[in-house]
Amino acid sequence: MNLRFFFCTARLAAVAFGGLMLAGSGLAQTIKLGMVNSLTGPHSSFDLPASEGVLMAVDEINKRGGVNVKGKKYTISVASEDAQSKPEFAVSGAQRLLRDDDIKVIFGILTSGPGMAAATAFGKSDVLYIGGFTLLDTLLGKPGGELMIRTLNNDATVAKSFVPASVQELGVKKVGIMLPNEDVSRSIVAVYKPLLEANGVQVPIVEYFQPDTQDFAPVLRKFQNQGLDGMLTGTNDALVEAILRQATELGGLPKKFMYRGGSGAPALKYAKAVDGFTWQILTRDLDNAADPKVKGWIERYKAFTKKDVSPNTYWALTFYDTVFMVAKAMEEVGSVTDVKAIDAKVKDMKYEGVRTMRFDKDGHAQSDIDIGMLKNGKVSSVRAAAS
Amino acid sequence: MDLIQTLLDGLMVGGLYATVAIGVTLVFGIMGILNFAHGQMVMLGAYTAFFVVSAGLGFWPALAIGMVAMGALGLLLERAVFRYTLGDHMQGLTASLGLIMVIENLAAAAFTPDPRNFEPPLPGSFQVLGLTLSSQRMLVLVLVVVLVVACHLFLQKTRIGKAIRAMGQNRTGAALVGIQTSQVTAVVFVLGSAMAGAAGVLYGSLFAITPYMASAPLMKGFILTVLGGLGSVPGAVLAGFLLGVAESLGSRYLSASFRDGYGFILLIVALLYFPRGLLGQRGKMRV
Repeated sequence: MNLRFFFCTARLAAVAFGGLMLAGSGLAQTIKLGMVNSLTGPHSSFDLPASEGVLMAVDEINKRGGVNVKGKKYTISVASEDAQSKPEFAVSGAQRLLRDDDIKVIFGILTSGPGMAAATAFGKSDVLYIGGFTLLDTLLGKPGGELMIRTLNNDATVAKSFVPASVQELGVKKVGIMLPNEDVSRSIVAVYKPLLEANGVQVPIVEYFQPDTQDFAPVLRKFQNQGLDGMLTGTNDALVEAILRQATELGGLPKKFMYRGGSGAPALKYAKAVDGFTWQILTRDLDNAADPKVKGWIERYKAFTKKDVSPNTYWALTFYDTVFMVAKAMEEVGSVTDVKAIDAKVKDMKYEGVRTMRFDKDGHAQSDIDIGMLKNGKVSSVRAAAS
Repeated sequence: MDLIQTLLDGLMVGGLYATVAIGVTLVFGIMGILNFAHGQMVMLGAYTAFFVVSAGLGFWPALAIGMVAMGALGLLLERAVFRYTLGDHMQGLTASLGLIMVIENLAAAAFTPDPRNFEPPLPGSFQVLGLTLSSQRMLVLVLVVVLVVACHLFLQKTRIGKAIRAMGQNRTGAALVGIQTSQVTAVVFVLGSAMAGAAGVLYGSLFAITPYMASAPLMKGFILTVLGGLGSVPGAVLAGFLLGVAESLGSRYLSASFRDGYGFILLIVALLYFPRGLLGQRGKMRV
């Protein structure tokens, strides 16, 4: 019995030692990416697909032979932390990644609560942080935010694509704006109103309502019988669905809507009652993909994740192309550790991936987006580049 | 025309507030039991309607099932919890806060926080005398009036209604003349909860249903109980309609960003001139 135990232990030790040696030899040839995302909790609907996109890109790079830096081949590995949709866990996850000296590039987080907390930690360190959350734009190019990149367009850039495309597709001439009384709504109006007017659309009414409003009748009455042919509204699916529902029920209101948000879901139930509805798909429309690159990506996604695309899968394209950009930048600068050179190269690059990616000098995305559209009861999309 | 439409909108939403407030008035104003979980009855009533309508049974069975189910839940809560907190506001407060947490989180776990809604029986709008009115909102207004009148008649004309009013005036006195206070308390809970269930079904026919929808109706229910005069069902109904009209007119002609503020202004002004509430009885406690 004791002898058998001895041999068994010795065999396990030999396997473990061999594994360590292999792992050790692999470490010398490995680029270790960090990733912090909300893999659990309410924000996981965004971050989980985003993390799948990173893992998928890494897998594809490794399968095609890895990253070639000055004639030396590197494979990529990923160290992942769960932010649990909470700022405190985002910070502790970020700190664990920062303690690992091998990690020079970190991806992750699409929501501003955990995102700002993690970004604050990254801003004090010498790593390249590539995120997706809205408030990251406020840090880019500022002290502490020099080595940061946001892979989704900011509101102003999205609006430059969204407004002309929506105006053309819906054919609106006189639009009212109705938004919750929040800071973000003021900035939306500041961006969208001049753009609408520049595209030949009158905007006679702008109304803010209490954010937790359920009964929209009194505020919708302000838009009734005003000769409007469209409304711009937001900022989340629940609010917009309630507005659509009550607008179609009250009558005398425009039946064309522009949604400053990322889903067509609020309008689908009312497809017969509305004449038009447009929304913003910040990456690619996966439901009505005609682009061969997108079709190919969908097939690879299904094979990699062993699951079908869902309404949230398009967030998987948030970081997907940028992983390739980082790998390419490392090859071009000839270093896997010179973070500043890699950052500068990524910001200087135009990359034709599934998305067409480029950034300005501060790291703001200047990508093209898809505009989702519901017209005559049919859903479709058009590609729109920021002008 | 616009003013009339806005007034009707206000009366409709005010009627919904009044339906919630009747339950709060009966349980808190008359029985003296602080039940903050009353809002959860509204939420569960709305979900009951959602599932009944989704199952294809239609709006009217949903209204009946919602009221019966919430009445039964009210009875269960009274027997299991609130009968032990009679006369002790702090105990009632603590128990109902605990119930809020349990019911709300169970609902979020079971139904997910995603907003739900169901097809109203009368979708769309109609034109009358130059007014464009929502069919479902008008139906809700009619149903609210029917419920309020029925509740009023029940309290005024039936023996049990008289017993409830007697207990509201003096619990000990009512017991001394032979009223079974324990049974009457249970009836009050059933009635109040059924009204909350009805309010939930009507809410759900117009607005989004979520596990967290209970706080606004509850807060307004308590405001109306105070504004109407503690223990006064007609006062709560009057206050409900006034609050709805104030919110609608304020949102339409002033600012929609301040919607909830109009109710509190109304409350402060009303209590300055009517310290016992709009229809508070003389001799009852000042609110």
